[in-house]
Amino acid sequence: MKSISSRLRPHVGRRRLRALASNQSAILVGVLIVLIGVFSALEPKFFSVATAGNILTDWGSVVLIAVGMTYVIISGGIDLSVGAVVGLSSVTAAWTMATVLGVGQDVQGSAAYGTMLVGAVVSVSVGALVGLINAFLINKLHIAPFIATLATMGACLGFSVIISTGMPIGSANDFSLIAPIDSSYVPFSWAVVAVIMVVTILGFFLHKARFGLYTYAVGSNAFATRVAGINVERQRTKVYVLSGALAGLAGMYVYIRLGAGSPSSGNGRELDAIAAAVIGGVALSGGVGTILGTVLGTLILFTVQSGLIMVGLAPDWKKVVVAVLIAAAVGAQSLRRGGGSQP
Amino acid sequence: MTDGVLYEVRNVTKSYGQVRALEDASIMLRAGEVVGLVGDNGAGKSTLIKVLSGVHRPDSGEILLDGQQRSWNSPREALDAGIETLYQDSSLAPHLTVSQNVFLGRELTVPGFLGRMGFLNSKKMDEEAREDLERVGILIPPSGRTVTQLSGGQRQAVAVGRAVAWARTVILLDEPTNHLGARQSIDVLNVIAAAREQGLAVMLISHTLPYVLQVCDRIVVMRLGRVVADAPRSSFDADSLIGTITGSINSSPANEA
Repeated sequence: MKSISSRLRPHVGRRRLRALASNQSAILVGVLIVLIGVFSALEPKFFSVATAGNILTDWGSVVLIAVGMTYVIISGGIDLSVGAVVGLSSVTAAWTMATVLGVGQDVQGSAAYGTMLVGAVVSVSVGALVGLINAFLINKLHIAPFIATLATMGACLGFSVIISTGMPIGSANDFSLIAPIDSSYVPFSWAVVAVIMVVTILGFFLHKARFGLYTYAVGSNAFATRVAGINVERQRTKVYVLSGALAGLAGMYVYIRLGAGSPSSGNGRELDAIAAAVIGGVALSGGVGTILGTVLGTLILFTVQSGLIMVGLAPDWKKVVVAVLIAAAVGAQSLRRGGGSQP
Repeated sequence: MTDGVLYEVRNVTKSYGQVRALEDASIMLRAGEVVGLVGDNGAGKSTLIKVLSGVHRPDSGEILLDGQQRSWNSPREALDAGIETLYQDSSLAPHLTVSQNVFLGRELTVPGFLGRMGFLNSKKMDEEAREDLERVGILIPPSGRTVTQLSGGQRQAVAVGRAVAWARTVILLDEPTNHLGARQSIDVLNVIAAAREQGLAVMLISHTLPYVLQVCDRIVVMRLGRVVADAPRSSFDADSLIGTITGSINSSPANEA
């Protein structure tokens, strides 16, 4: 009894929690550095601008939906539809550009920007619309988020094949947007720079603004939030629309990368996003998580993927390593809470 | 006798499906008066408090604030009318800090464009939350800590302090001494007495009958969704109060309040 009560003494708990909470990102950075060190030791070519460029390019498409997922999970929900939305929005954008505007793949470079802007608006709108449908199913029909977004995921997968007849749709593009700004020194592409800006702004909104505060509040205690006079349903709607819109933006990113809208381009990405968020310290029970954690979690995910390929291991090993990382992250979280789900 | 009546409900009925939680219940609160609401589990106390705070709409009956008929569409409307509520065990968001909880729904934003975008003035909220809680006599830990890092007693103190600090007309407290030790409970009773001195109408729900007998001016007893007694504290002693709650005393004190 004595040890339990002393463990629960608030000032001791606070110090320990503070130390670990402030170390959360430091731990992730440490993991990342160790991974880079190990892969570089095994394969010296790993430590290069080219590899960093590849990792960042992969990172760019998934971090957008991982940030949306972070908002959704903090609010106490889950969004399984985002991977399918990436495919549907990229296909719909490409179809609009190719069929409605009648612009072909021969339009490249800066001449493509007007057409691509239309594509981006369509892509983000499709994603936001799916988010709105998710919110309707959850708020009005009281369907559990897991089931509601599983249903829209299926519908989006179906529609993207119907629209594209299963084939990629090509149209106007500028591949230089997704290439490193300087292949010798700068691994960032302009597309990745844009993603970093979006993620940074959303980080400030989550951690410094009312929008983020209400997101945490809804996931922490929806009843207390409601009786504080906050419209909980409206906040949930905003969060799912944000998640959908970000998946739409990821759809446009994937379009630029492939030069075409492909119905399968986002398949399984929702699981990458959930894995990245969880590795980054987002708790599926709601109310906990940071954008920085998710950003680092996504980087770790793709560093592992890229590194394993470069050292010559079969890509299937990625799944095993990611599983270990998730188990380690969640295990650390429940140890931090002092015993996890035990009463 | 309606003098000084600030807030009342008349003949309210509320059912959850087949279960009738409130049956023709009426209660009035006066400015500068503490009313104790007692009754066994399932007597309808929590449902009544949720009707008074705008969480539930009654199936029938009237709500009057300052003699004006009102109908709350959301808790926001009752809050805007100065009615604050402490809900049993559920008034705080545990992952938010103390000051974020104190200001939840009423955040202070920074000036200018960023403020219109909803960016928060956390420093000012921390300072004011500390001042507000101290003003109502709640000693609080540093505001930067999240509620999960507080003890049960500290959480309850923050929840009580938050309700009292914001209340302008009416304060409804559902089991405010839960999780509190004897000394902290006395602190809360002192906070309640201070709220009465400021002219607030106070309603206290508690199973701790000695506290009810100590601090309340008037006691309302509910049983099976009905108000079965409404009388000055002097009409009750510990035995008659328990008897009225359990129903072993059916001849309740006259409703002379």
